[in-house]
Amino acid sequence: MNASQVTFPLAPVYAKKGITFHQALAREIHPEGDANTASGFVKVTYTDPARNGETGIIEYDYLVNATGPKLNFEATPGLGPDGHTVSVCTYGHAEEAAKELANVISVMKTGKRQSIAVGVGHGTCTCEGAAFEYAFNVEHEVRSAGVRDLADITYITNEYELGDFGVGGLVFSQQGFQTSSKMWTESLFRERGIKAILGAHVEKVEPNAVLYELVDGTKDILKFDFAMLLPPFRGVDLKAFDKAGNDISDQIFAPSGFMKVDADYSGKPYEEWLASDWPKTYRNPLYPNIFAVGIAFAPPHQISKPRKSPNGTLIAPSPPRTGMPSGIMGKTAILSIRELIKNGSGASVAAASMSDMGAACVASAGSGLKRGSAASMTMYPVVPDYVKYPNTGRSVEETFGEIGLAGHWIKLLLHYMFIYKAKGRFGWFLIPE
Amino acid sequence: MNMENPREAIARAPLPTEKTLKRRKNVFIQLTRFAAINFKMIRMIRKGHHPMEKTDK
Repeated sequence: MNASQVTFPLAPVYAKKGITFHQALAREIHPEGDANTASGFVKVTYTDPARNGETGIIEYDYLVNATGPKLNFEATPGLGPDGHTVSVCTYGHAEEAAKELANVISVMKTGKRQSIAVGVGHGTCTCEGAAFEYAFNVEHEVRSAGVRDLADITYITNEYELGDFGVGGLVFSQQGFQTSSKMWTESLFRERGIKAILGAHVEKVEPNAVLYELVDGTKDILKFDFAMLLPPFRGVDLKAFDKAGNDISDQIFAPSGFMKVDADYSGKPYEEWLASDWPKTYRNPLYPNIFAVGIAFAPPHQISKPRKSPNGTLIAPSPPRTGMPSGIMGKTAILSIRELIKNGSGASVAAASMSDMGAACVASAGSGLKRGSAASMTMYPVVPDYVKYPNTGRSVEETFGEIGLAGHWIKLLLHYMFIYKAKGRFGWFLIPE
Repeated sequence: MNMENPREAIARAPLPTEKTLKRRKNVFIQLTRFAAINFKMIRMIRKGHHPMEKTDK
């Protein structure tokens, strides 16, 4: 798919729904207003061509922070489009990655062997599922181009085991047995001939070389001709100020830059983690009229077990919270705001904890209506609840995985459904998040 | 920390048979799987979507 198939102008959609749209970058939150403004407001810098660079303020009664992440390429020297690797985090990045991959394939067509590295570019990255599907899509592309035998494909990840996906792995029933996403994923790697480097923190990227450290403290180098490594995420560069103009960012945001909500941030050890640590309402404790959803909220801790190398390097996949959970959180925040407007600040609000919420993930492993393939997975709940499900932390009935052409069809169907929904077309609300 | 060698783990993993690989690409079989997976996903979505559940705050 090209950029025009996955992007569309937002202004007409908001205009159709009667929503005032500001295309702007949020810089500061002033929850108490200031000497000139009584209500809370957000200070912004406009990015639309007509007002590009102008600053302004947007006043609010309720604020939903749904900024998504900052792509923190700076965390790893040499990482990213300004360094020595490509990314697929934006459509622009993906187009650039596709061009570079085409170049590498054309080199292989001359008979020259090429090394391809795909994975995550830091020990604390999230979205391992996206890296996983990119690895298998690349494998599909080089096989389709007839040069598979000339491609060494390596998946490098901070996951301790394959199939972890930042959620501690999955256990599901298949043909009368309980099986794990680890075995299932390893099987796919074996079938497609993809190598893996696990428990890795990428320290630095040099031209054609990834320097990494493993959980056991050893260090090594992965040589590459083409590398797509995802960056770690952090909160966007937002600051917060009280009425007097004092910087209160450390009260509103976690050190990661994500916004604090109704989660347990006490920093307890892995052994004491509970499903109830996870937020339900996504309201900021200090300013309950501010919500943070999707990647923008600060998770209480990881879902996968965090590990440190003997050198003290943290290698811990961050919790994924994009896609379906993001949509549900956004809807929850809006339902709560509706209740608060109707019934006042004492109204009860909606709840949707990731420990009581399922997620579906369809990881593409190659496109084509007849030749495509994808791994379809569901998990319920996203955050394991060992009190409710003592053996595996999740419902074995509602957690499953399957590979096949049907998964590709589902991925394609979801693409068109979500674009339709995002455009607010007739009956959009019937399509679930 | 003793990590499992991923190369060995992948080499030990079950390799799908030709029959399984064909099954994964057979249009007629996959049509039934398409329906079955969608059903499972909708069931899971229904279980996980209860945004009107209220909490006192």
